[in-house]
Amino acid sequence: MKNSFLFGMMIVMLGASLLISLALGRYEIDLGTLTQLLSWKVLNIGTAPKEVMLLSNIVFDIRLPRILAVILVGAALSVSGGAFQAMFVNPLVSPGILGVLAGASFGAALGIMISDSWFGVQLFSFTFGFVAVLVALGVAKIYGRSGSQTILLVLGGVISSSLFSALLSTVKYVADPYNKLPTIVYWLMGSFSAVDMKTLSGVAIPLIFSTIALSLMGKYLNVLSLGDEDAKALGVRVIWVRNSAILLATLLSTLTVVVAGMIGWVGLIIPHIARFLVGADNRVLLPMCALLGATFLIIVDTLCRTSMSVEIPIGIATSLIGIPIFVFALKNAKKGFA
Amino acid sequence: MSFYSAENLYFSYNSTPILQGVDLRIEEGSIVSLLGPNGTGKSTLMKLFLGLLSPKSGEVLLKGKPLQSYSIKERALHVSYVPQSTQVAFAFCALDIVMMGRIAFESWFQKPSKEDRDLARAAMERLGIVHLEKRTFQTLSGGEKQLVLIARSLAQGAKILVMDEPVSGLDYGNQLRLLETILKLSKEGYTFLKSTHFPEHALMLGGYTYALKNGHILAHGLTCKTITQDLINELYHTNIELKQTVCGYPVCIPSFVHHTKA
Repeated sequence: MKNSFLFGMMIVMLGASLLISLALGRYEIDLGTLTQLLSWKVLNIGTAPKEVMLLSNIVFDIRLPRILAVILVGAALSVSGGAFQAMFVNPLVSPGILGVLAGASFGAALGIMISDSWFGVQLFSFTFGFVAVLVALGVAKIYGRSGSQTILLVLGGVISSSLFSALLSTVKYVADPYNKLPTIVYWLMGSFSAVDMKTLSGVAIPLIFSTIALSLMGKYLNVLSLGDEDAKALGVRVIWVRNSAILLATLLSTLTVVVAGMIGWVGLIIPHIARFLVGADNRVLLPMCALLGATFLIIVDTLCRTSMSVEIPIGIATSLIGIPIFVFALKNAKKGFA
Repeated sequence: MSFYSAENLYFSYNSTPILQGVDLRIEEGSIVSLLGPNGTGKSTLMKLFLGLLSPKSGEVLLKGKPLQSYSIKERALHVSYVPQSTQVAFAFCALDIVMMGRIAFESWFQKPSKEDRDLARAAMERLGIVHLEKRTFQTLSGGEKQLVLIARSLAQGAKILVMDEPVSGLDYGNQLRLLETILKLSKEGYTFLKSTHFPEHALMLGGYTYALKNGHILAHGLTCKTITQDLINELYHTNIELKQTVCGYPVCIPSFVHHTKA
């Protein structure tokens, strides 16, 4: 009962932040005009507002793709963070634990250095996100089957992350300091400013699919968080479940880097806040992560676009806003863990 | 056809041999206690019986078929595991934990049915812990946790329970209550394979005992015949005397007790 109320509230909040974010920006639109425009364009009700061409250009061509991308990325980072926290039975795990973010960042930087097309950069980023996770899994495999798989995976992730961070530094060091380096640095700070309809349509379907699929794995992740042996004895195919979750979470994380560069902290703090709200049951927790993450990122991105005359890179903003929230949330979230 | 048995099991971790030719037979509805010093392979043997590990050679048979031929789901319908301690890092309530016993029966995206919920509740009721259902697992006492995990096995529907030192960490009262629960369930037809550090506990439960040392079965058979003064002293390098009480029940008395009395 309490949960359905919370979910209702969160859906309303998400809708409200979406509307407000559509209205705010360099060219401010009052909410009345925005509602008029939306009902005229989307529902075919009422009359067109004044300057309808300009308004629909701003709302539908510029702001909407960006905000939809923000929603998808916010949900993706939070759900993959929540799923990894359950899988590794560790509340300090974030989506980057297996090296995917380091790999995707290196890929993007390499792409910026050697390719001139935006698509090339995205392709490199996507590919190396997966390569990094494969390196992590490979390292875990070298150490064999005995012992705790999760610890080996974390070790593999640490090694893979370090490797790709070092490679990223190498790229930065050799990149042309006038043309390429600033682009790389800017990319690594994260931004939604480059998002257009084309990027959005390319990533939307896999992002939506994986977010939903991962959210639906909640009950298996619950059992996995009891440890491998318990889960196996309960009749769960642990390796299969874990590999599916890793695949989906990797797809999600690497696509977020493709869309918007590095955005830290969201995947760590949102699951904590969600757990504080609805408890540890992943069947409820993961959908809540998606809603909360999307709403949080819309708010942060709107602040980034509107609060100063130049846009603040969102990766910086999520860290600056996320850290105090995390400190506060941790105090209350204690009861969520042993 | 044997109900649940192991034939000539060999197992080693890397190059360290753990089990070297172990035979073990479990009759339906019986209680089998595994005795042996620390690090002697009791847990490994139980993991082989659960199919969590695969033997180097030899095999475990369940109802006449090799355990490996069962799918992981089928196996879960026959055999369940009550671990020594389950580390639950996230705050699940007791009913959630018991409900996890039903997971093998649900398909991927299926929500737990009302039937599953009723079965989980019924299992908790049988063990008299239904009042704990809303409590967070971590806040339960050791004895309550152990009962919740047994309820999970009952909800799982498996008639064989493999228990790794079920009484470790429990206070004296909870130890006795847990042993009583095991005895009660065994009378209802459940089969138990459990390890224990207390020869007395094996004696209280009766059934069969296997004494394991250095990867070999040192002695086995009916508990009352197998557990002797010599066996205990050999297994644990102790100096105890096994004495019959007035009512004929055997108890272990360590030699130092006499010294302190004198």
